[in-house]
Amino acid sequence: MTEEMIGKVKQMIIGSLRIEGMTPADIDSDAPLFGAGLGLDSIDALQLVVAMEKEFGVVVPDAATGTTVFQSVRTMAAYIMEQKK
Amino acid sequence: MNCLMFPGQPLAFAGKLPQDEDGAAIAEMVAQRVFLDLDTLAWLGEGSTEQVKLQLYGAAMSLYRLRKLRQEAVIVDLVAEHSMGIYPALVASGVLPEGEVLELTFRTGVCLARLGKVKEYALACVVGLSEGVLAPLSATYGVYMANYNTSRHFLLAGERSRIEQLAAAALAGGAFSAQSYPCDAPLHTPLIAEIAGQLRQIVADYSYAAPRVPLINHIDQRPLAAGDIAEFLLRELTLPVYWERTYLALREAGAITFIEAGAGEALKKYNRWIDSEAGR
Repeated sequence: MTEEMIGKVKQMIIGSLRIEGMTPADIDSDAPLFGAGLGLDSIDALQLVVAMEKEFGVVVPDAATGTTVFQSVRTMAAYIMEQKK
Repeated sequence: MNCLMFPGQPLAFAGKLPQDEDGAAIAEMVAQRVFLDLDTLAWLGEGSTEQVKLQLYGAAMSLYRLRKLRQEAVIVDLVAEHSMGIYPALVASGVLPEGEVLELTFRTGVCLARLGKVKEYALACVVGLSEGVLAPLSATYGVYMANYNTSRHFLLAGERSRIEQLAAAALAGGAFSAQSYPCDAPLHTPLIAEIAGQLRQIVADYSYAAPRVPLINHIDQRPLAAGDIAEFLLRELTLPVYWERTYLALREAGAITFIEAGAGEALKKYNRWIDSEAGR
């Protein structure tokens, strides 16, 4: 997985969730996205699903896939790269 | 124009009231008026349910935030509310004082909790399905659409077993998320009519001043007049919350800046979704 893709995912998170005052460098690639990590919730997750489809053409088809994909920035980047192969 | 938005009851406790002068004053008022220790979240007396604690916690967090905004001299042109956010919204628009609003929140919550002693109820947060898919599903399972938050975020209410079946069916039907939560009463549904008489007596005990700042209601998106408020407090518990319509109406009325006064950022996130769909 490229660091470039991880950087793009972080930028997508900040942009789509309109997080003010945060840069990609502030996001730990391996931190949990939900709960204690970035503190996202299901409202944010759906926003990310839409953003992933729009920016990368990658679909998260169901809740079970979403649970796996949205563990961290790294798992999101891995999923995008896998789907784009 | 600035719009101050008051969210409904939080689904969980999210941090304590700040320990500054205003936080202490509100905590003291909560303890004196409605017998809840916000620090330990323990009742100081007979008390009521966990849901009523959450309702009071939500109201207290909103009142604290409102005090801070007033100290910062933030100009408020419009006040909006979602569900039980109506109670602190009454303070923001000058309709009732803080103490009475806490008492009204408590008395209403205790009354609602009586329903939960007879039957088990629950709420379901369903994310990802459209109204066109979810509304027929809710009818199939005999539950009610309680909040229309955005085109893809809904809250449903009803009997617990039915809500749990609905949540499972929603997931099977492609929902991104469908979580159910036990609750005292099926808020924003016709089932509340069972205790309408008791609720009417409670809301009749207060004297509502004319709003000094327009207070936009979540049912038909019109400003409430003093004479409307008691009836609205009753009706809003039996009818759905239409947040998306409310947000769009606020924007149409000229609101540009939206400030959420409460625990969490649910309304801000709903607004973000609505804006993104509109290409904003």
